[in-house]
Amino acid sequence: MSRKMLIDGEVNQPNEQEAHYDFDLFVIGAGSGGVRASRISANFGAKVGICELPFHPVSSEVIGGVGGTCVIRGCVPKKILVYGASFGGEIEDARNYGWEVNEKVDFNWKKLLQKKTDEIIRLNGVYKRLLSNSGVKLFEGEGKIVGPNDVEVTQLDGTKLSYSAKHILIATGSRAQRPAIPGQELGISSDEALSLEELPKRAVVLGGGYIAVEFASIWRGMGASVDLFFRKELPLRGFDDELRAVVARNLEGRGIDLHPQTNLTELVKTEDGIKVRTDHGEELIADVVLFATGRSPNTKRLNLEAVGVELDKTGAIKVDEYSRTNVPNIWAVGDVTNRVNLTPVALMEGTCFAKTVFGGQPSKPDYRDIPCAVFCIPPLSVVGLSEEQAIEQAKGDILVFTSTFNPMKNTVSGRQEKTIMKLIVDAETDKVIGASMCGPDAAEIMQGIAIALKCGATKAQFDSTVGIHPSSAEEFVTMRSATRRIVAGTKPKTNL
Amino acid sequence: MATSLSTPKLTTTMSSSPALHNLFSRKLPSPLSLPKTLSSLSHLRRTSTSHPHPHHHLHFRRRFSVRAVDSGNGADSTRHYDFDLFTIGAGSGGVRASRFAANFGASVAVCELPFSTISSDTAGGVGGTCVLRGCVPKKLLVYASKFAHEFEESNGFGWRYETEPKHDWSTLIANKNAELKRLTGIYKNVLGNANVTLIEGRGKIVDPHTVDVEGKLYSARHILVSVGGRPFIPEIPGSEYAIDSDAALDLPTKPEKIAIVGGGYIAVEFAGIFNGLTSDVHVFIRQKKVLRGFDEEVRDFVQEQMALRGIEFHAEESPQAIVKAADGSLSLKTNKGTIEGFSHIMFATGRRPNTKDLGLEAVGVKLSKNGAIEVDKFSRTAVPSIWAVGDVTDRVNLTPVALMEGGAIAKTLFLNEPTMPDYRAVPSAVFSQPPIGQVGLSEEQAVEQYGDVDIYTSNFRPLKATLSGLPDRTFMKLIVCAKTNKVLGLHMCGEDSPEIVQGFAVAVKAGLTKADLDSTIGIHPTAAEEFVTMRTPTRKTRKDPPSQEKLDSNVKAAKGV
Repeated sequence: MSRKMLIDGEVNQPNEQEAHYDFDLFVIGAGSGGVRASRISANFGAKVGICELPFHPVSSEVIGGVGGTCVIRGCVPKKILVYGASFGGEIEDARNYGWEVNEKVDFNWKKLLQKKTDEIIRLNGVYKRLLSNSGVKLFEGEGKIVGPNDVEVTQLDGTKLSYSAKHILIATGSRAQRPAIPGQELGISSDEALSLEELPKRAVVLGGGYIAVEFASIWRGMGASVDLFFRKELPLRGFDDELRAVVARNLEGRGIDLHPQTNLTELVKTEDGIKVRTDHGEELIADVVLFATGRSPNTKRLNLEAVGVELDKTGAIKVDEYSRTNVPNIWAVGDVTNRVNLTPVALMEGTCFAKTVFGGQPSKPDYRDIPCAVFCIPPLSVVGLSEEQAIEQAKGDILVFTSTFNPMKNTVSGRQEKTIMKLIVDAETDKVIGASMCGPDAAEIMQGIAIALKCGATKAQFDSTVGIHPSSAEEFVTMRSATRRIVAGTKPKTNL
Repeated sequence: MATSLSTPKLTTTMSSSPALHNLFSRKLPSPLSLPKTLSSLSHLRRTSTSHPHPHHHLHFRRRFSVRAVDSGNGADSTRHYDFDLFTIGAGSGGVRASRFAANFGASVAVCELPFSTISSDTAGGVGGTCVLRGCVPKKLLVYASKFAHEFEESNGFGWRYETEPKHDWSTLIANKNAELKRLTGIYKNVLGNANVTLIEGRGKIVDPHTVDVEGKLYSARHILVSVGGRPFIPEIPGSEYAIDSDAALDLPTKPEKIAIVGGGYIAVEFAGIFNGLTSDVHVFIRQKKVLRGFDEEVRDFVQEQMALRGIEFHAEESPQAIVKAADGSLSLKTNKGTIEGFSHIMFATGRRPNTKDLGLEAVGVKLSKNGAIEVDKFSRTAVPSIWAVGDVTDRVNLTPVALMEGGAIAKTLFLNEPTMPDYRAVPSAVFSQPPIGQVGLSEEQAVEQYGDVDIYTSNFRPLKATLSGLPDRTFMKLIVCAKTNKVLGLHMCGEDSPEIVQGFAVAVKAGLTKADLDSTIGIHPTAAEEFVTMRTPTRKTRKDPPSQEKLDSNVKAAKGV
């Protein structure tokens, strides 16, 4: 492909002007969205520069690393720890299958942590090579916007580099936030939780979102005692209520103490550990207190006010459907825009951006039917609408199909844990508009179901699909009778 | 149960099926209340997408009386029968057909042999092969054996065992059998709750409307034969020392060293089971590779992965004799030599339909060369009042297919909805270790049938293996029709494949195209997301000119970025 820039359908300027810029595109932030946008843009022939903070497992204003949250402080290390923690349950399950395993199995946290760090360092290198193989120029340092077409990169040694670019893309992601309570400095965020020196014996987790339940599962699986505090009656607000209840039951079943509708009010350092006080007047002692109370977009030190890029109330960059900010040649993708904060969505946004700006194909990211997973143990995965959303959005009647069953593995292991599956069907069109599952392999199972939804699958087509036997997934194609029919205009049954 | 009524299957009416003209001489209900008339496959897809099935009509159509199919099958409509349906064999297909028929208002009896984990001419059990000697016990043993791999993996994740975990065979077999007893009980309850009369004993057909069970005669308007199949061991000297899969699922002791003869799914599944439970496993296959009929690349891949886990393959080696030594050990003589010291030799050399001594030939039911009952598209035999479903018909020998056939026959006979089982895009799995999941065509079939196809493959080291340090890999493959963009086949070998492929199979039913895959967001981080991130074909096959383009697939390195 020619190095010459191809089509610029958006800006439509004559080619001669491009010579004035050092780069066709300068990207701030080399996480999932930034790397994807850079690579694809370069493939379209654009000259691309990208800057990223130096590598470190724990992020701050001045450290980060190529690969971003997903690779260094999110999806990847989290999943590694979930794998590690899952063996705890497997060892229990193995006994009734005839395996004689020592009563106490030794788990070496330091070893797992080291291997996790090795793996993310390896991936960090892979990402760097990907960039250089695509011809993207990588700068290490903090990027700032100094003009509509000008970026300044402050390198490690303090020297500053200035570049001009025809387009600027902000892909700086987000960071974990802490609640403003006395003693909050004694708590940690998910960044540190992924890099703890020691495995806590007593862990307290504050938050009801996916990060909270995932870490609760991780530590519990590794043998810690875990107390989970959250504001609502059930964890995972926004997900299907029936599934939330199952997740809560499973977390308890695996030995996690749930404290619904409870907040932490104060942390105090003591000889014995961190004393945790709640708004119910309880006190307990923990080795580690994790705040999983939300994340904020990384927009503070970008100097956005200099060029007038608009932010919303949460500090996220406001963009249009093409990921363009109010400044025409400044764009933003990923968590910094706080749309749907998932790696594959940032990838989609990055690709659409590159196609729009350098590929001559104006492309809007499509946010319909985005599947996602929560890697608690066992995991939860969903696509499309929850029952509550379906009822709210429905014009006609809704059919709800549910199946709650004891997975075959449990029949011998004796584990008391049910798997639940749910399909939401538009009664008039027969279209499946939502699917959800909590149980082993849910995340793997849901991917194919998500594609079926993209294909516009009807319940009749689910029914006409032959099952794969014996699997859990086959339950999705054998739900013959509706559990309930919700007539248009009626209120949701549950209100949690 | 409102079963099926809210979920119409793909069906056909009498106008589109001349074979049923005689059968359905009575007028069918008004066309409005019937699912769409579907006469051809292309027509079928169009109809089902452009005109959604009218549930609201179907909801009011439930009926409990037996009707319609009482003429043209030799039955005298005024004659009294003991039962509307008599089913011989209470396995997956028989139980499903019986239950559904009873739910549709028919009076139904089913007979089955007494329970035993090993089948014979005189022993069987409610639940059939799947529950007692197939899918279920097999999967339980797969679970058991898989822990060995998980212990190994867990070492890489920081878990350490003071003493290596040891396996106690008798605990496993006892717990497995307790579960099978529970399941056979559940199946009996299911029949009882559906008001199906269960008769224990061997059923034999006396005439087109009479079944003899242990000397007692029962008359029936329709007879359904669903007696399944049984493992087959070829006659060679010493074959009496060999065991089949029935026995292998219920051995009193763990094999120390086992020879498995055969390359089909049963052979590779048991190889994985015994290997995981620390037996020394040798697999003897007639051909070069295991799993004939599967995608060639998948065959290569699974065999390589199994070998890495310690299974020894003896390719193009056929057994000629088994000799028992003085110490009780067995040696296997093949066309290439003799291997000694086996504690067990298992034959996984195919299964045969259980059609002997059922009285079939005498009443005029036609059998194929291998002894399977010949049936038409509605599962009807050459005798109009006798029907057959499941493995005894040797069509697609899978539990869910028998269920589909059983459900279809109940609708055809007792719901006035002539229903053909739909064999397109039937997904299936092999519970080898690693397992395989697949739906649709292999590359070889696709090239033959469509000529111009694009092949997307991905062969990667899963995240878990990067930490465990084990040589496990995952292979995925998409076969796309170059002309229509339709996905013709989807294959996977690696952890969780059977679970992953189910949803894709639904998508294939819904007309999956490569563009649909590309527009679906991945679930991160999973193995399954790889199916929606395959950007560049690995190769393209074109009929004209007959060449195969090899494409550089650098992009694979960029997985997920």
